[in-house]
Amino acid sequence: MLFSTSGKPEPSAMNFDLPKLSRRDFLTKSTLGAGLVLGAPSILKAKAAGAPADDIRVGFIGCGKQHEVLFNAMVNIPGIRYVAACDIMKARVGRTYSAIKSRFDYGIERYLNAQEMLDKEELDAVFVATPDFWHAPHTIMALEAGCHVYCEKMMSNSIEGARSMVDAMDRTGKLCQIGHQRRSNPRYRYALNELIQKENLCGQIINVNGQWNRALSASQDIVSKPSILPKADVLREFGFNAGADHKLSEEELRHRFLNWRFYTSLSGGPISDLGAHQIDIFNWFLGAQPKSVMASGGRSYFKDREHFDNVMCIFDYDTPQGNARAFYQVLTTTSSGGGYYESFMGTEGTINISEREAYTKIFKESGADNAKWDKLVQRGLLKKQAAGVAAGGADAIASYESAPPDEYALPGGLSKQPHTPHIENFYAAVRGEAKLTCDARHALESEAPIYWVNPAANSKQIINFTEEHLHT
Amino acid sequence: MYSNDKDPNDLGLTLGMLTLRLWLAIRAIQTGIEKFAGEKSIDSTVVIDGAPNSYGLTEATAGKVYALSNYHGVPAPLMDKFANEPLIPGWGLGIYDAILGPVLIILGLTLLLGLATRFSLFLMGLVYTSLTFGLILIKQDAGVAWLGIHIVMIVMGLALAKYNKFAILHKW
Repeated sequence: MLFSTSGKPEPSAMNFDLPKLSRRDFLTKSTLGAGLVLGAPSILKAKAAGAPADDIRVGFIGCGKQHEVLFNAMVNIPGIRYVAACDIMKARVGRTYSAIKSRFDYGIERYLNAQEMLDKEELDAVFVATPDFWHAPHTIMALEAGCHVYCEKMMSNSIEGARSMVDAMDRTGKLCQIGHQRRSNPRYRYALNELIQKENLCGQIINVNGQWNRALSASQDIVSKPSILPKADVLREFGFNAGADHKLSEEELRHRFLNWRFYTSLSGGPISDLGAHQIDIFNWFLGAQPKSVMASGGRSYFKDREHFDNVMCIFDYDTPQGNARAFYQVLTTTSSGGGYYESFMGTEGTINISEREAYTKIFKESGADNAKWDKLVQRGLLKKQAAGVAAGGADAIASYESAPPDEYALPGGLSKQPHTPHIENFYAAVRGEAKLTCDARHALESEAPIYWVNPAANSKQIINFTEEHLHT
Repeated sequence: MYSNDKDPNDLGLTLGMLTLRLWLAIRAIQTGIEKFAGEKSIDSTVVIDGAPNSYGLTEATAGKVYALSNYHGVPAPLMDKFANEPLIPGWGLGIYDAILGPVLIILGLTLLLGLATRFSLFLMGLVYTSLTFGLILIKQDAGVAWLGIHIVMIVMGLALAKYNKFAILHKW
């Protein structure tokens, strides 16, 4: 049978006779020095099944595109044993099985139902990469099954769902990392800790500007062969008819399954899908939550989609340095305008940072202390790139223009895939060697304002945040 | 004939022939070897205040490496252009792509060592003529002119063949 709904393991899969608490406890207790005695039986059994005893046993819930991104980012991390994967689409689970088999030469168990996988498998950690509206249910069921969880952002399609994840993390005492991967990115951590906080490179940050501009070609409907998609009854069982005002046909359900990002009951739309990564950085770098949001959005091109295809919003902050405003735009109809980045604009300098190094630049204001910046270059904290070039020319209005800023760069980059450090941090935390860089509580503190952007755009009203809006 | 070429006694022309052999040999050998060259990115830890940074920031420097896996007889940017030329058969392009590098290295070595110098020069001339044919088709006039200079040098080498010294095999 292709899919192991029977739960019968392959010879290559891990054995099921392991004592319930032994493996997970071993991971923690061995780091505390007590695991060698308490975990001895499980060590022997795990080794007999072909994996080192301290390998982290991993399962996947959701095997679509985002799962592939995560898997490709972790395949070179040592000490991992892939045990099982689940998705309601058989072909996806099959692809995951093949990817692991070809890479590691062992098979995994395959499931169509997450609860069944969690009931039958002995897992230490689970990766949740399902549609947004399934993040909270899947994360909670995995935490309650005794697993540590890495869940993709946004935490949920609703703030209530996100809050329930924080509750489950607290209740179970398990780790729950949310996939805001920039939080573990060395370049972002360095820019915040060393340049902004220690060196006050920007001076007072008064404005923040961020965007993700994505071309129309990348925003089209996702299509697939109907023959490999789940049947209508399966899609109904798994909630893809949520929020519909009529009984959906199989074709409509399949469109929702492939394009759940377009539907308000299944996701938060582009502001959540793309903006969450970057608005998270606003809040993290500023060390504050905004006090209000105003927003505008439109179905300017994709008129039949439930979510806005472009959104612009302004957050107002009171930061430890003073008042600041942050503008963010997400466009799904053009990639012009400089791609995707977050820009922290201060009185002495600006840091344009992006997950893509090509979009990352640092600018020194003409009035900033030259000696200070030169010293930073000498110490290796910055790299000088180019002196600012005055516009000049007949069309320049000299009395209106400021002197152009000199251009600098970060002193180095990331030699791994963007998601890898975040996953490494998760595994290190599972082993008791590190603290999560973005656990569910901190993620929700950062995400909470994002849940109010669409309501602000819909109502065309400024939303002044209260404790009720933002509490975790 | 070989017997007529024996013992020419002009030091200047002998050295001229030797210089031509060296130039053409190095040109061919190194061109062949360069077809196995590629770039490898080497990551080094960024140093701040004289110590490796604690964040894991790295600086990538690209270094040149040689490996069989890097081999491209015909440079990739030109491959597509040749493939679109109706006068170049696809199968022929594939063979040419596979053998060009090794052929240049072998002919360069035979010329350098003096193994059948005249035939080596002639075959080298054919190779450069074939390259000229391809460059004419894709309108690379500068390359055609450059190869023309090579052909002139080869002809000079053949003309000076009777002054060929320091050769392992004088015959052919």
